[in-house]
Amino acid sequence: MRPRTRFRNSLIIIATLLLVISLLSLGLKRSSVLRKVEGVMISLTAPGLQGLYYLGRTLRGVWEGYLHLVGVQRENAALRRRLVEYEQKEVQYQEALQTATRLEALIGLKQQMALPITGARVIAYDPSLWSRCALLDQGQDHGVKRGLPVLGAGGIMGRIVETYPHYSKVMLIVDRNSGADAMLPRTRVRGILQGQGGNRCSLDYVPKSADVQVGDLVLASGLGGIYPKGMVFGKVNAANKKTQGVFQEIEVTPGVDLSALEEVVVVKVVNLTLTP
Amino acid sequence: MTIPLLLYSLAGLGLFYFQNLLLFPQVRLRLLGLLLFYVGLRPSFLLAFSLALILGVLQDSYATTPFGLHLGGGLLLVGIARFCRRRLLLQKIGPQIIASLGALTLQEIGFMVTLLLLGLEPFPFHDLLAFRGSELLATAALGPLMYALVLGLEKLSSRYGWRPMSPWAQE
Repeated sequence: MRPRTRFRNSLIIIATLLLVISLLSLGLKRSSVLRKVEGVMISLTAPGLQGLYYLGRTLRGVWEGYLHLVGVQRENAALRRRLVEYEQKEVQYQEALQTATRLEALIGLKQQMALPITGARVIAYDPSLWSRCALLDQGQDHGVKRGLPVLGAGGIMGRIVETYPHYSKVMLIVDRNSGADAMLPRTRVRGILQGQGGNRCSLDYVPKSADVQVGDLVLASGLGGIYPKGMVFGKVNAANKKTQGVFQEIEVTPGVDLSALEEVVVVKVVNLTLTP
Repeated sequence: MTIPLLLYSLAGLGLFYFQNLLLFPQVRLRLLGLLLFYVGLRPSFLLAFSLALILGVLQDSYATTPFGLHLGGGLLLVGIARFCRRRLLLQKIGPQIIASLGALTLQEIGFMVTLLLLGLEPFPFHDLLAFRGSELLATAALGPLMYALVLGLEKLSSRYGWRPMSPWAQE
């Protein structure tokens, strides 16, 4: 190897290391330059992804709509019956909600109010396992802001961590960087719902003395100001008290399949301090 | 080098779309990593390096990990591929597959070490073996297809007057 080549190779390695370290450092600080680079890359590549997504959806719609109608009438009748049941339940829930709102106002609690929602479609997921996030087709132009919660059909999906003019990025609740205050409504036990990667979460910092059973619902406690109180995170899948330390090991399965969501809603939340 | 870079980048983008729209979440593969490894084995270093930058930024833009993690991983793959090309003289597909498996494993370890250094919690080791092992094996097994794709792109680029042996590649 000629000395010039060796010198060149060393220079390339040093320059590359410096580049990567600088980028990682800027990435941790959420540098505005990197956010712009991200925005440009997403603006360039996401429309193609979105177009192919809609194309696939249309083709599937044609298949399901025209060629796959067997059983639709029966399903429709069943859904109508369920709708009537839910309408009756809705009336009861509205009454309970109004009572709770009055009581909260009376004792002057800080309340989180959910404003109108924005429907969005998931057009991409991060296919790597190192992070769990998704890209929505609604962005700053549609009033989506960082920190807003995103809900799927059966519960909380995650929260907006980045917005671009036409798109936004959601960190799923199973992402290892995701954490939120949660509670079990049956026993009012609270803990921190921590993402574990894959499709799993854990409920941390729950004492061994607390009563936790498999199948218990896990709801947002409303603390932390991100997820509105009472929204569903998921269910307890396993609870293990035979551990070292004072806390249990609780595994939580999200209420929605976070790898297969298509339509979601972004909830515009605002904190209001009510005075009696 | 603009046309080949554009062609390879489009191929990378196509693989990213394919992975995102058709494979995810049932099938997990490292197609972009494999593409980078096989491009790294070809003569032009500058092309492989530029492609690693572009695909790294693409993957980092769609992830919530610190920006630069995938980019660094891509550059590491290219570095390993260059090392294999110069020192191991990989000519046959069998050794190339084994080398790509080694490179992808080293990239995975690199991810873990970087996340640890950044103070973020990487996956536990047993998770790594359970989930990543099969992913890496399946990806490496696709080596012949990726090799054919890279050769095809090289031929296509040569139609536009590009020669893979750039001044940077003379070693």
